[in-house]
Amino acid sequence: MSNTRVSRRQFLNYTLMGVGGFMASGMLMPMIRFAVDPVLEAGAAGDYIPTSQKVSELTEEPVRVDFTYDQVDGWYESEVTGTAWVYREGDKVVALSPVCKHLGCTVNWAGDSEHPNQFFCPCHAGRYEKNGQNVPGTPPTGPLDEFDVKIEDDLLYLGATKPNTLV
Amino acid sequence: MNWTANDLDLYMQQQEYIDTALIPLVHIGGGGAMKQSASSAEFLMNLSAFIERQFKGRVVLFPAFSYTDGNDKSRLASEWEASISDMPFKHVFYLTTDPSWSREGIIGDAIWIPSIPLESMDKKLKQSVLEDQVRQIIPVLTARWTSE
Repeated sequence: MSNTRVSRRQFLNYTLMGVGGFMASGMLMPMIRFAVDPVLEAGAAGDYIPTSQKVSELTEEPVRVDFTYDQVDGWYESEVTGTAWVYREGDKVVALSPVCKHLGCTVNWAGDSEHPNQFFCPCHAGRYEKNGQNVPGTPPTGPLDEFDVKIEDDLLYLGATKPNTLV
Repeated sequence: MNWTANDLDLYMQQQEYIDTALIPLVHIGGGGAMKQSASSAEFLMNLSAFIERQFKGRVVLFPAFSYTDGNDKSRLASEWEASISDMPFKHVFYLTTDPSWSREGIIGDAIWIPSIPLESMDKKLKQSVLEDQVRQIIPVLTARWTSE
């Protein structure tokens, strides 16, 4: 036993401070957590969807790559098939979204025999260059979107779409 | 465009471009024909959803119109045609797996496609079969679009 005397007043002070501090931290911790929550959130990096396309088989000619993912809309759960037009540019792999910037139809590479090196939208004859740039004078108002691309074990993974960075 | 409020909002703004109605005609069979008609309906709904995706900016896909053997087809057809002609569509395409519509001349220009049973196919095969079918229908659609 130690000889130092703790007065009743000191003892009560310490106890109150301890309990009060504990309660205060219990209140503050969740508040701080809420405030910094966006920082703590894990990045959505896991959202890459695997495709069966081998990267080594890609050429400079765009090919269609299909991929599927589950989509839940209300109670309606469905498996959605997405498409991308993928080609190689130097040592980079480019994946363009096939959704026309006009009204959302699906565009096709070389869909119009008069313009074999362009993307063609069959709805209103919109056209895009190979890098997604819309051809002036056709209905589309902007270039095709681009997918984030990841390569793992020679297989192509597609991420989210982003505005075209090539034009 | 699908028959949803959001898509129809866009339709209202872009009526000059979205000028086509696509109406699937689905036969509901009774008795022993139930499974057969369900299989055809499944095929037709898959196919029309595919066409909608391909031509989203030009075609409004209507909710499937279903009828039974007891319905008077020519009456249904004339009622439909009267109601649709009030809507601002330049082209109306009827899509069906039931040959009697065009054969009996009820809707002479109904697009008939033979039904393919999809239920036993795996996903990949289903998709490529549908793609082949759509590839055959596209020229029919584009021909009618360019004819006027």
